[in-house]
Amino acid sequence: MANGKIVSIHSFRGGTGKSNTTANLAAQAALAGKRVGIVDTDIQSPGIHVLFGLDETKMGKTLNDFLHGKCTIREVALNIGEKASDSEGRAKLAGKDIWLLPSSIRGREISQIIREGYDVNRLNEGFQTILKELNLDYLFIDTHPGLNEETLLSIAISDILIIILRPDNQDFQGTAVTVDIARSLDIPNLILMVNKALPKYDPADIKKTIEATFNAPVAGVLPLSFDLADNASKDLFSLRFPDHEWSKALCGVADAILAVK
Amino acid sequence: MTEDITTQLKNTFLFKGLPDDALTAVAQKARIRQLAEGDVLMRRGDSGDSLFMINDGWFKIVTENAQGEELIINKAGPGETIGEMALLDEAPRSATVVALSDAKVLELRKDAFYEILDQRPDVALSLIRGFSSRLRFSTTYIQKAIDWSQKIAAGDYGFIESTQQFPKAAASDDDKATQLLSAFFQMVRSVKAREDELKHQLEKLTLEIDEARRKQEFEDLTSTDFYANLKEQAKRLRAQRAASQGEE
Ligand SMILES: Nc1ncnc2c1ncn2[C@@H]1O[C@H](COP(=O)(O)OP(=O)(O)OP(=O)(O)O)[C@@H](O)[C@H]1O
Ligand SMILES: [Mg+2]
Repeated sequence: MANGKIVSIHSFRGGTGKSNTTANLAAQAALAGKRVGIVDTDIQSPGIHVLFGLDETKMGKTLNDFLHGKCTIREVALNIGEKASDSEGRAKLAGKDIWLLPSSIRGREISQIIREGYDVNRLNEGFQTILKELNLDYLFIDTHPGLNEETLLSIAISDILIIILRPDNQDFQGTAVTVDIARSLDIPNLILMVNKALPKYDPADIKKTIEATFNAPVAGVLPLSFDLADNASKDLFSLRFPDHEWSKALCGVADAILAVK
Repeated sequence: MTEDITTQLKNTFLFKGLPDDALTAVAQKARIRQLAEGDVLMRRGDSGDSLFMINDGWFKIVTENAQGEELIINKAGPGETIGEMALLDEAPRSATVVALSDAKVLELRKDAFYEILDQRPDVALSLIRGFSSRLRFSTTYIQKAIDWSQKIAAGDYGFIESTQQFPKAAASDDDKATQLLSAFFQMVRSVKAREDELKHQLEKLTLEIDEARRKQEFEDLTSTDFYANLKEQAKRLRAQRAASQGEE
């Protein structure tokens, strides 16, 4: 069995910034010389491929093909470091060991898998196989919001679980339940991350309050940023603008992940 | 005597840049005047045509408030000069000056001063230089005040730290530019303090979790067969991976 770690990025509600965070954390780990895989398990509403400049024409085999038994998991993995890069941020990944395992963005295939369902055990086997075959240090999993079966699976098998929340009460309620689930599943490393923090709050105060409430470390408080929204998921923001406050806070979270033994 | 006067002239803004021989020429034109307590040296509204250097004794500088009552705005004593600008601008006196004790002053009249200017073009030139450098000094600080105002508008207070040593104008400092900046800095500091205070009030994050709902949702999620299986499976998987890592 492989030595690599599974890092799941989750949030109870949608739109918290999971896909942007996952892509940037994975990219930072790859920049640090790690071998990194990224799986988009948000089968119902895939999104992370956009951050890596992929569209339908550039996508080969997908996670859907693997789950339907049409290909191996290795065939799904697309080497990002090998591709000639079309944007300033992504260009920095040239020659790095980073693979993306995308979900299908074809409407027909999405509705099929929602209708018919799939065997979550096969998804798990896929994770374990790809860790081993690509000899990965980290496998990052971008998830669908909420706590459905495949999300529960990716939480259950993760070595590190990153829960993203925004500083508002609806997110707090959902995060509380997710934290309870993570504890019940004995996840070895639970890390919280705040995104879209409004400037009217003091980041240190947010960190303190949330850590005390959930009894878990907050590895970063990332600001709400028009610059990031403006980037519209077109590029890997932290690679393109490494000196931006959002990027610096994100790198703090990446450091927390890399520090886990 | 002339020597004392020269030293005193050097302390005035008007004469401080003049060469010694020119100062001696000015000093020689000055006349001594004796005053008793209560004597009026000048009256507000008089046409101003001489400068006074106080040698001995004290004076009060007064004006009147709206009710016609006397208002002391300052006091002046030995070594200080009163009315220097009157030699040039011919404006009426802006305040009344009264001796508080017996006093001795040296008076330099406008015509005596102009005589010197006639004879000594170099003195006239030095005076002009003095004025233009003062003007430059003032505009420099006005420009700074404009730059800082723009920074404050943008919420950038960083310059306060880097400019700390500068605007500590003494009360007696008659340099209006420095006084303005001193007031300006005081304003910025209090604005910043208020803003910090306000920020502090806004920043408190309140966090509310409905514990009953939290418990209910947790039970709903974990009471399924799927969950029980998952928990088992995750446990097994972790044990396997731990064992295999031990081998490596
Ligand atoms: N800190 C931020 N400041 C401003 N906009 C942000 C920030 N983080 C993310 N966004 C924006 O919010 C939107 C959602 O981000 P993202 O797709 O990464 O979230 P998600 O959690 O994966 O969403 P979903 O639940 O739909 O999968 C995007 O438009 C993104 O540009
Ligand atoms: Mg997403």
